[in-house]
Amino acid sequence: MTTAASESPSSHLLTLRVGQFEGPLDLLLHLCRTNEIDLAALPVRSITDQYLVHLESLEFQDLETAGAYLVMAATLIYLKSKLLVPPDENEEQLDEEGEALRHELEERLREYARIKALGSWLAEREAEQALVWGRTGSELPTPDDVPLEDLSVHQLERALKRLISEQARRRPREVQPEPMSLLERMTEILAVLRDTWSLLFSSLTGGERRRPEIVVTLLAVLELVRLGRIRTQQTELFGDIVIERREDSPGDNVPLSADPDFQGGATVADSH
Amino acid sequence: MPTPTDVVEALLFASDTPLEADRIRDVLELTDSDEARTLVDELRVRYEKEDRALAVVEVGGGYRMVTRPQIAPWLMRLAKTRTKARLSRPALETLAIIAYRQPVSRPEVDAVRGVNSEGVLDSLLERRLLRVAGRKEAPGRPFLYETTREFLVAFGLRDLNDLPKVEGELVIPEVGVAPNGQAQAEQDPGPGGADVTARS
Repeated sequence: MTTAASESPSSHLLTLRVGQFEGPLDLLLHLCRTNEIDLAALPVRSITDQYLVHLESLEFQDLETAGAYLVMAATLIYLKSKLLVPPDENEEQLDEEGEALRHELEERLREYARIKALGSWLAEREAEQALVWGRTGSELPTPDDVPLEDLSVHQLERALKRLISEQARRRPREVQPEPMSLLERMTEILAVLRDTWSLLFSSLTGGERRRPEIVVTLLAVLELVRLGRIRTQQTELFGDIVIERREDSPGDNVPLSADPDFQGGATVADSH
Repeated sequence: MPTPTDVVEALLFASDTPLEADRIRDVLELTDSDEARTLVDELRVRYEKEDRALAVVEVGGGYRMVTRPQIAPWLMRLAKTRTKARLSRPALETLAIIAYRQPVSRPEVDAVRGVNSEGVLDSLLERRLLRVAGRKEAPGRPFLYETTREFLVAFGLRDLNDLPKVEGELVIPEVGVAPNGQAQAEQDPGPGGADVTARS
């Protein structure tokens, strides 16, 4: 509905800001005021056209507001159509309906005008009071019986909402164990290999090991291969990896972290 | 020995909410509330005569000690702010509807304004200018809202009768029902009908 604004023939006349109007009634009232229209004789024809022109130039932030404006537009168009079609004697009832609708619209407009006036009256009072300061807190101890007027259902509702949101925030989270460091894993593999000649990769990662651990284990195996401490075999694609101790390995006393690339033992972050 | 008027002065100073004449009567063990009012008036006259920085005003059904508007520039400087926070136009209009029609539900407020008032109502409740007065026996049992004493204080009103008189009844349009009877109200009632005493 904003797209048409630029092509609208009278768009150059309109300098509307978003949110200038508080609603369709406000816009309608504005139109009546600027045209010095008596609310009791609402000229539906001209008002409808002007309303629609304004509607095109408005930008809506949400559907609900847009809907409210559109409902008003529909009402106006309906009323206008009533006036354009020559009265049919058979449709007397429909005409009454149109008349009632027009009447209701006038009434609502008048009511809204009243509220607007009262709103600005309140604004004046507020401005007066803005220059006046009184005590907002007292050092008197509060009485044991809090006066009921200070309490309201709304406060209870708010307290409950706060409690619920707090609970939601405090809902127990699954604590992820620290992923094992590469160095730890390498040491672990070597420790196992001290007792047995060979082992299967699946036995290292079996059970309930989680994905990051499997990755760490694989990296540990690869690193041990690179360091020449173990030998690996994989007989088929995606098959299990057989890990063997290397007889000619440089010896267990060589520190595993000798490689500067693996200072501190890299850890694999849990990526999911 | 403090005079009763001195005591009233101290009570008003120490109180953070408007102090009712009845409370003053009870605290000073007076025979009736009129006596309390007389004491407050004495204090008022004293303040006015001495052109004091403080004044005693009647708001929200009680008496309150406030600074005089003439002192405002210095207080703003003290507070390092230009003005107090003001309510938005939708908020003021919503307050106006509720002040006149209370207790009133949100659908009714929406009907008068022609737009959704949920956010506005929430912020007014937050500022304690409104409170929930119960539920309406209507579909959905919506909350009914009414204005609070804070509302009266914020707008310097003694009570709801201080609101300007509105020509004709405030009509809440019923959906699908055309209100009958042409209202004789003027186009714009304006604040002219205010019968508020300009005491402040």
